[in-house]
Amino acid sequence: MTLEALIFMIFIFAVCVGGFAYALYLSYKNK
Amino acid sequence: MQNKEYFTSRWGIIFAGIGMAVGTGNIWRFPRIVSQNGGGAFIIAWLLFLFLWSIPLLIIEISIGKKTRLGVIGSFGKMMGKNFAWMGTFVAFVTTSIMFYYSVVTGWCIKYFLATIFQGLIKKNPSEFWYTFTSSWEPVIFHLAAIGIGAFIILSGVVKGIERANKILIPSLFFLLILACLRALTLPSAFQGLNFLFSPNLARLGDYEVWLNALSQSAWSTGAGWGLILTYAVYSHKKENPLLISTTIGFGNNVASLLAAAAVIPTVFSYFSTQAFSHQKVLEVMKADNQGLTFIWIPNLFSKVPSGSLFLALFFLALSFAAFSSLISMIELDTRILMDAGLSRRKAVLIVGAVAFLLGLPSAFSMNFFNNQDWVWGLGLIMSGFFFTVVVLKFGPKNFRLRMISVPGSSIKLGKWFDILPCILLPLQFIAMLGWWFWQSYSQDPHNWFNILFPFSVGTVLFQWLIALGLFIILNKSINKKIFVENNDS
Repeated sequence: MTLEALIFMIFIFAVCVGGFAYALYLSYKNK
Repeated sequence: MQNKEYFTSRWGIIFAGIGMAVGTGNIWRFPRIVSQNGGGAFIIAWLLFLFLWSIPLLIIEISIGKKTRLGVIGSFGKMMGKNFAWMGTFVAFVTTSIMFYYSVVTGWCIKYFLATIFQGLIKKNPSEFWYTFTSSWEPVIFHLAAIGIGAFIILSGVVKGIERANKILIPSLFFLLILACLRALTLPSAFQGLNFLFSPNLARLGDYEVWLNALSQSAWSTGAGWGLILTYAVYSHKKENPLLISTTIGFGNNVASLLAAAAVIPTVFSYFSTQAFSHQKVLEVMKADNQGLTFIWIPNLFSKVPSGSLFLALFFLALSFAAFSSLISMIELDTRILMDAGLSRRKAVLIVGAVAFLLGLPSAFSMNFFNNQDWVWGLGLIMSGFFFTVVVLKFGPKNFRLRMISVPGSSIKLGKWFDILPCILLPLQFIAMLGWWFWQSYSQDPHNWFNILFPFSVGTVLFQWLIALGLFIILNKSINKKIFVENNDS
């Protein structure tokens, strides 16, 4: 796996999983 | 009829919403489309359209459902005026037509899960097994089972049925996807698959087809504009924030798609690593249609994997869970409409279940009919999305945002940027998507593009749409009468 692909994969997962986790956190916080 | 059912908490609508969005399209369509469209470049465009098409439409739907507390037809009647309730009838009909064959698909998934465990599917010739299965009576039996289980869940009500089922199905689905992903990544040469999937390949961003495929995938996969989340929003509490719920659903849907791709694509690469390997061969596999990839290639791929039978069973179990969580939202959409018209939940579910079984039969028997319906009503969803945009334009985007989306007292509010979406960006995306799919149909077969008997023609789409629209406009007055008299709204 190239470094370029690895960085891109981490970026995409960070955006999607991070966005999902943050939205879930806000849902919990704003009960 | 007053609605007395509500989700017990915000998690109820969030799980139900993710269940509605995550379906077979995430697992069998996304890995295929991302492979054909340059991997990383496609992912960038697909992520962008989550914010430009899917999340805005989810926000619009939730806001409408929360405000009107009526199903799709009643909502359009209330928001647009009764003379335009036919737009809601069309939206409901498009999703219902999809439900007819989606139940058949759910049946296939159950069959393949059971066949993996009890019939040793992994040792059989996948093509032969698929053709024998689809040309027998079995798809009808599994279609009946799928619609029966789905109807039973909806019959149990919002809390004991929809909420409870999704609270089990969705965490299990994510667990199974993570498991499948971990298994795939431990296969030889799996990282070549990840390399293929995540190479940015930015040059492909100059290809308009990558953008249009990404937009179509986001539109179809998130369930935005289908009227499904509108129906669930009817049962949400007043304080719920449409922006927060939509964003959670949208990101949840995309995570599920990425996990599915990270499980399927490395498995394909690993399979070919033992043979004369080339990217071309991988692309050939991924060019198979949805059914071809899932029901023929996937069993083939897992047959070469250690403990393949176990992981094949888990794959089809995940697919069944994804299909069920979406199917029940489609059954609920129609049930809600019939309940608005004064029927009890029990009667409504029985009618929806019986009609769905009967009208799903042609798709269970004929793949040609199935493919035609998938083409006609899949494009119909783009029209549905546009109808929701028209509601916002009629209401006034600023007015809609301030009065229907931003909840008083909420710390999360939608900015002015939202106003530009229904005015410019959503209509533009609608025109681009529909125009491009019609153009593709024309360019693939210029002689048959307007032949209404040809399964993938523009003619068959327009013919079926116009019949439906004409009928709903004629029947508009009587449908309105039933819904609005029942809801004491003159």
